[in-house]
Amino acid sequence: MKRTYIPKLDDILGGGIIDNASVMFSAVPGVDYEAFGYQMLNGRLKDGDKGFIFTNVAEPETIVYEFRSYGWDLEKFLQDGQAFFVDGTSPFMGLPSDAKYSIKDYSQVEEAIMEAIEDVPDGIGVINNLSTLIDYLGEDETIDIIKKWNLHGKKYNTSLVYLFTKWDYNSNLIQNLKKSMDCVVEIKTIEERVIIGQGFMVAHSSWSEPSDTMVLFFVVQPGGVKVYIPKILVTGPYNAGKSTFVKKISKKSVSVDRKALSAFPTTIALDIGHLEYKGFVADVFGTPGQERFDLLLDVLGKESVGAFIIVDSTAPQTFARAKEMIRKTKAEAIPKVLVANKQDLPGALSPEEIREKMKVGKDIPIIPAIVTEGRGVTDALEALLGLIYGD
Amino acid sequence: MISVMFMEDHNMEFFDYLFEDAAPGDLILVYGPPKVGKSIFCYQFLYSSLVGGEPCLYIVADYGSRQLEQRMMEFNWFLRPYIQNGDVYIIDLLTRLAGVKVEDSGTLKFSSVQNLTDLMVKVGVSTRSLFRKSSKFRAILDSLTVIFAFNPPNLVLRLLKAYKARISEARGIGVVVHTTGTVEPSIENSLMELADLKLCFDGEKIQAESSAGEKFVQYTITDKGVKNIRG
Ligand SMILES: Nc1nc2c(ncn2[C@@H]2O[C@H](COP(=O)(O)OP(=O)(O)O)[C@@H](O)[C@H]2O)c(=O)[nH]1
Ligand SMILES: [Mg+2]
Repeated sequence: MKRTYIPKLDDILGGGIIDNASVMFSAVPGVDYEAFGYQMLNGRLKDGDKGFIFTNVAEPETIVYEFRSYGWDLEKFLQDGQAFFVDGTSPFMGLPSDAKYSIKDYSQVEEAIMEAIEDVPDGIGVINNLSTLIDYLGEDETIDIIKKWNLHGKKYNTSLVYLFTKWDYNSNLIQNLKKSMDCVVEIKTIEERVIIGQGFMVAHSSWSEPSDTMVLFFVVQPGGVKVYIPKILVTGPYNAGKSTFVKKISKKSVSVDRKALSAFPTTIALDIGHLEYKGFVADVFGTPGQERFDLLLDVLGKESVGAFIIVDSTAPQTFARAKEMIRKTKAEAIPKVLVANKQDLPGALSPEEIREKMKVGKDIPIIPAIVTEGRGVTDALEALLGLIYGD
Repeated sequence: MISVMFMEDHNMEFFDYLFEDAAPGDLILVYGPPKVGKSIFCYQFLYSSLVGGEPCLYIVADYGSRQLEQRMMEFNWFLRPYIQNGDVYIIDLLTRLAGVKVEDSGTLKFSSVQNLTDLMVKVGVSTRSLFRKSSKFRAILDSLTVIFAFNPPNLVLRLLKAYKARISEARGIGVVVHTTGTVEPSIENSLMELADLKLCFDGEKIQAESSAGEKFVQYTITDKGVKNIRG
């Protein structure tokens, strides 16, 4: 097994990739994912393995520069001969190339990469970018060539990493590409308009049974791919049932009492939970309902990927406050679900009546709930995830 | 029916008339032979948008971002203040290629004409910021010529589809410039099909074509930009 050097990915894959694996990172347009390939290469080079990059997206010099911006010194490995380029860019731009292999015509790609694979036994090759190859070579020919490369990689015990941008290709081609790979990692954005994150998920692996966990990440310079656990906010007026909700929705939860920094020491009770549901992992934060803590709402709201607004359905006098809290949490911009709690009590308003009274738009689902009995909690979560992932 | 109007400095009515049938989320194709004022029209569109308080994304693909500023200055359209206060995002596809070492900043980003994946990443980042800033914004791509020269044409069409989807998701209006004759007719047809509104420049008139119909205005280029002349 070899490590991928992508945090969390090795865990999901059961320890890493098999030595001669073919791995495809398949990303929707707009996701910053080149770093996945580069980070794997950098890690392997540092471990003493040999490696190459095939590029048809940027001249080698630009890629060296990009590596440097991540804090990785590719130049050193190039000088040592531990790494080299298969340059499919410079000749097309009319630029000189001092790469080990430089491609003047796409008919040379197949052979050049076959040789490059032989040059890095037990090492790694990164192909950036597979999509461009497809539109030059044609779909069927590209699939044929990939199969040959992958066989060759098996023979020389070389890992091959493909970066693939999922433009509007037909699903047949995408299926065939997937079938040609040992492992496919899907990379997508979640909720495009107000980006709340980019996530990766292993769609397939020939040597393990990966969980369907979606791992959220961002790419930083320097640093590369970093993963994070998203926050979900639970807010609403005092006594609406927030603390109870956080407990019910979480695998584990704690209530943290903290002395507030103010002239009159009061206790801020933050309910913190951690939820795992159908591959979605998040930290859950229940905010205090009192107005004097509104500053905290702002801070938590900014970091959240979604929010639950809990209201006591028998207390319409608190609805104005609920709306105010939505505003203060900046929850305007993030997906949110309104939980119409305490449906078991006499006089509880129905979701429709609450929508009417609060004047909330149709884009916010209102889910009836009896949180103390755990009823409606999963519905609310499903509704929020639906909004976040856009179904 | 052709309405006759007087042009203000920034030709607001002129634009209003031409863009009458464009809605947020639409893709507008500006096309015609070289040297008929397509780029100037874009500068003007950009500037009038900024003056009117609408932020913009401008993708320069045929020259560098420096040149963009300079060319606009010739018309007394000063971009600098808008760059500084973050009203205009620029993606520059050529400067890096020229071997200049440049770093991305908040509103000025460098990509490469061959790396369409990276271009889409930067389009995504910029449109998200614009979306947060304003409920209305415009995105201008000037032009496809160099992009077509360095990529398989089908890939460029794929890029445009993704680009259009992104802009329309963020409720912006997108303008894309194409120089006729630089690609095969079949690719040109596909381009036309992607557009919700087409503005054809021929040096004398701009012909606007959308599902709402056709209309045209006669124009000339002056030191105030593209101006219509009463026809
Ligand atoms: N009858 C009923 N009581 C509830 C329900 N949910 C919460 N409560 C009660 O309402 C009170 C306030 O709940 P809590 O979670 O502490 O509210 P918070 O102030 O929003 O955190 C507690 O006594 C809960 O047991 C519900 O669905 N039905
Ligand atoms: Mg509480």
